[in-house]
Amino acid sequence: MPRFYMHIEDWPDRIEDLEGSELPDHEAARREVLSAARQLWAAAILDGRDLSGRSFIVTDETGNVVLTMAFKEALPPGLIPD
Amino acid sequence: MPQAERDGIENRLLRSLGSDDYALLEPYLTAVELPKGHVLFEPGAPLREAHFITSGLSSIIAALSGSQGVEIGLTGRDGMVGLPLLLDCDRTPHRAFMQVEGRALRIAAEDLQRVIDSSAPLRKLLLRYVHVLAIQTAYTALSNAMDTIEERLARWLLMSHDRQDDDEIALTHEFLSLMMGVRRPSVTIALHSLEGLGFIKATRGLVTIRKRAELEEFAGSAYGTAEAEFARLIGPIR
Repeated sequence: MPRFYMHIEDWPDRIEDLEGSELPDHEAARREVLSAARQLWAAAILDGRDLSGRSFIVTDETGNVVLTMAFKEALPPGLIPD
Repeated sequence: MPQAERDGIENRLLRSLGSDDYALLEPYLTAVELPKGHVLFEPGAPLREAHFITSGLSSIIAALSGSQGVEIGLTGRDGMVGLPLLLDCDRTPHRAFMQVEGRALRIAAEDLQRVIDSSAPLRKLLLRYVHVLAIQTAYTALSNAMDTIEERLARWLLMSHDRQDDDEIALTHEFLSLMMGVRRPSVTIALHSLEGLGFIKATRGLVTIRKRAELEEFAGSAYGTAEAEFARLIGPIR
């Protein structure tokens, strides 16, 4: 199974994922970062923190970017800031 | 048994036994190697043996059908895996497996039972340990309900550190995410936070404890009570 690396960007900072996750395909990786972003939002909201500046940057084993997801995209549609 | 030999006993429960009681148990103990992932008992299977862990870490998992489950207990050289045997129970809905490879002294269930029946001090020691593990489980429940992921992680790292000699803990973010029941990126971010605070250093597959006292303070009240009970009822854990 391919390995996908889920880096978190909060420009200019970046948290590198050194380990990666084995997932069947890009769609599975997209679902994984969507769930992860929602979990992180839940914790942040309890704390009063805003994660709007963050994004997931997902790369494959060769380092190519296969998808990106702004944390904002993981919020319920009515809550997404303009 | 001379004190010098007693100090060579890695398992803290066995170390705290009197020489006579340890001598009753010793003939039935077999040293075994336990690789990472080795299952010590499965949900619902008859318990045939107990393990006095001497190195490494075993997780007790509350199994959920269709998923990996969540860790509810941690046992290292502080304790014994197979506690239901002490409580007249032949099986349990939980699973136990080695999360970090190690070693143990294994004893067959019937041999353990026979020695417990003939030694009140051993029986009482093991029952005190059951109490301490129940306290640990209670504080795991408290931590899961009240703490941030960073605080839960800090507590978990401290508990692992308690059960080994060196400051390096070998584990993956994947393992931590399974143990804590959270998504792996949450673990990555939480480790990054603890590293930013200076408490740990996180490299691939390894977490190094740098500032133990500060990590304890950060973990807050979910860490410490179970450890104090262990010290009070059994002995020093480190």
